Amino acid sequence: MPSDELQLIMAGYILGDLSPEEAAALEELLRQDPAIAQEMANLQAALELSHNPPAVPPPPHLRSALLAKAQPVSLPVTSSPPPVARPRFPRSWRTGLELAAAGLIAALAINNYRLEQALQTRQATQPDAAVTYVLDATKPNSPASATVVVNPTTLEATLSVKNLPPLPPGKVYALWTVLKPNAPFTTDEKAAILTDVFQVDAAGNFAKTIPVPHAYRTQEIVVKVAVTIEDSQAPQKHVGNPIMITGL
Amino acid sequence: MSSSEPSANPVSPASTSTDAELIVLLRQGQTAALGVLYDRHASLVYGIALHTLGNAQEAEDLTQDVFLTLTTKATYDPERGALRTFLAILTRSRARDRLRSRHNTRQTLERWRLGKPPESVANAPLEHAFQQEQSQEVKTALAQLSDQQQQILQMAYYEGLSQTEIATQLGIPLGTVKARARRGLLKLRETLTQLIPQ
Repeated sequence: MPSDELQLIMAGYILGDLSPEEAAALEELLRQDPAIAQEMANLQAALELSHNPPAVPPPPHLRSALLAKAQPVSLPVTSSPPPVARPRFPRSWRTGLELAAAGLIAALAINNYRLEQALQTRQATQPDAAVTYVLDATKPNSPASATVVVNPTTLEATLSVKNLPPLPPGKVYALWTVLKPNAPFTTDEKAAILTDVFQVDAAGNFAKTIPVPHAYRTQEIVVKVAVTIEDSQAPQKHVGNPIMITGL
Repeated sequence: MSSSEPSANPVSPASTSTDAELIVLLRQGQTAALGVLYDRHASLVYGIALHTLGNAQEAEDLTQDVFLTLTTKATYDPERGALRTFLAILTRSRARDRLRSRHNTRQTLERWRLGKPPESVANAPLEHAFQQEQSQEVKTALAQLSDQQQQILQMAYYEGLSQTEIATQLGIPLGTVKARARRGLLKLRETLTQLIPQ
């Protein structure tokens, strides 16, 4: 049986009047002797037996009704862990942590706000005009399809591919942006810029957001978007012929 | 009963998790923890609600209300005291609020219907009914406590007053309030040993 002092602390926990120092002492006690938990259950039972009406199980439907109503919510957890886990910080230190955490959260909130403001400003001056490129397979009766949806302002695109067969080892799919002859951008001899390389999953699909070349800002310059099969070690060699292409 | 050995992996709610662990998980958004807490403590809450309010419909309503409060408010501090104690005090308090508003509604209706001034009605007549229903063993056990110990336990657990409020009302030091409440509970535990399932 624990000392008189510790018994008083245990009773204090059941009554809900524990000071932080006492909570630390109780935590230590529980760590040394987990059987104390049983004694605390006895204290709880004594309190309830002498002061409460009998416990009555509610009707079964109440449980599902409750869980249906309960929404996951993020609430402040006490900054130190519950009294059966790790050592706690002394109260003054905990308050310092809480303040630091609050400061950090406030700082993050401000950053998010500024970022959002910046995005809104940008969108106001340069309206979004997404350009969609639809690629068809060059092989007849192929179920393969692909789209590239480009945001010329941000130079980001969503590449989305369906029903392309997975490739043997050493091979990779390459996405090409083909430009008008003599366009003021660096291209290879086929007037193309290597834009992305990718593999499809077992179902033959792939999707990703990719950066795209500056050429997309001047739409008339991009004449074709195509997919070829290349050597995975040197896709830039551009040896393959288009298996998918726009404007078919 | 309630708290048991801490679970090895307090990352998801388990029936072996302590109440404190479950509350932490619940506040991190794991609603499954609410199910475990409900299974443990619903009978306590519903029993108090049913006894105080006198009908199943309102008792069910209040029980749901109390458990939902666990998900929406962070008033309960797992480091300060036991969850069951918090739940009992909260349930009693909310039950009384409902009784009071029920009484006020009745009074308003009476006033309109009969044109008579309302009579003052004891707020919770059922409270006294419980005292009379206590078993002989419980009455004997309570009788082992000093009057002050009994009174302070009543004020703390039954009325939900804080130790500071009790100290102020009774005009005694806070330390004395704590000591009397705690010694009273220890004494009850000692006397009721035979009645408590081990």
